[in-house]
Amino acid sequence: MKNRVVNKTEFSALIEKHQAIIHKITMVYANGQSNREDLFQEICLQLWRSYSNFRSESKFSTWMYRVALNTAISTIRKTRTDIHFEQLHDNDRIETETSDEKEQVKLLYRAISKLNRIDKAVILLWLEEKSYDEIASILGISKTNVSVKLVRIKHKLEEMIFNLQ
Amino acid sequence: MNDKKLKDMWNKAETLMGASDYESLSIEQFISGRSNDTTQKIRNMIIFDLVLKALALCVLAIDFALYFGNTNIMVVTAAGILLLIPLIFIQRKMLNRFTEAADNGQTTRDKLASMLTYLKTKFFSTLLSVAGTYLFGFIAGSLVYFYATYGYVRNFDGVDVIVFLGFIVIGIVFNFAINQGQTKYHIKHLETCLNDLNDKNLELVTENIELQRKQDRTQKLLLGLVLVIGFVLLIAVLMNV
Repeated sequence: MKNRVVNKTEFSALIEKHQAIIHKITMVYANGQSNREDLFQEICLQLWRSYSNFRSESKFSTWMYRVALNTAISTIRKTRTDIHFEQLHDNDRIETETSDEKEQVKLLYRAISKLNRIDKAVILLWLEEKSYDEIASILGISKTNVSVKLVRIKHKLEEMIFNLQ
Repeated sequence: MNDKKLKDMWNKAETLMGASDYESLSIEQFISGRSNDTTQKIRNMIIFDLVLKALALCVLAIDFALYFGNTNIMVVTAAGILLLIPLIFIQRKMLNRFTEAADNGQTTRDKLASMLTYLKTKFFSTLLSVAGTYLFGFIAGSLVYFYATYGYVRNFDGVDVIVFLGFIVIGIVFNFAINQGQTKYHIKHLETCLNDLNDKNLELVTENIELQRKQDRTQKLLLGLVLVIGFVLLIAVLMNV
């Protein structure tokens, strides 16, 4: 019996509300639509299994990031994990964007895909407007380490985007 | 490129991705599904082994009843039962430790460190315990087979015993090799991630692993001893000593 949400239906509704978090993580860690779907399913399963251990000491979203990132980082796949942005769906929204904007986003993702799994987690959390404290508590490293890492990762990204252009 | 521009690009990506939103019904199916995660496979292996051990224990108890009056077989089955009971407790403890190590609700550093520590220290004991199940399962099964076919334990000559033991040893070694091979890859992955997290992390975790290895030496020796006794019991059954 789970602590707060007693059944799968209620838990699923809760995840449905917060699913954007999982989508962002799968975007960064998985390559291709089917791999992204697989990772999405795996994360949902791990969230459900870990939920009994969730204590309200941290925010639900912080806990969700922690479980989802841990799943993405420790999942070992035989396929390459880097993102091929070209494989993203073209949909109505894309039609309305200018090709320049689309190109820039592609470049950002190509650059992020070249980072190691830990750096991907750090930059993802920072891009998601998480505070240094939150990033440190999710990853289990010091605030100073987060700040040092971020400076290095941003510099690396900038360099990679410049080289890719 | 400034921070604002990076974040703008990221937010733009969100709308460009067009990721399909899942309804709660689909999510409910996901959480009812099976995991493809390596840690889940190890967990399943331990659970399956616990079930097999419990089954072997029951069959040994039945053997004891079937061969009641035959002192040699009664001693063998009783010894098997007495050795299997602590093995079940040890494996249950291993399962609890593994569940704790594999919990994704920990911080990333703790998750990586605890998994690495488990795989580098306790996993060998887990495999030794699994090997014990093969032996006692084989003894229990053979006794039932002999009872059903001959009504007594058939005598085997030296060559038969060597062939039987040879197959069991090959089975155990094969299981060890497969599991160790898979774990080696997993360990390498965990070490890389820990190192990427912080250069000093791996160093600290390695020190802790060495300490735990020393503490676990007695447990490994005891498990090894149980295996040796298991082999002796099997030889006793096969040669009808």
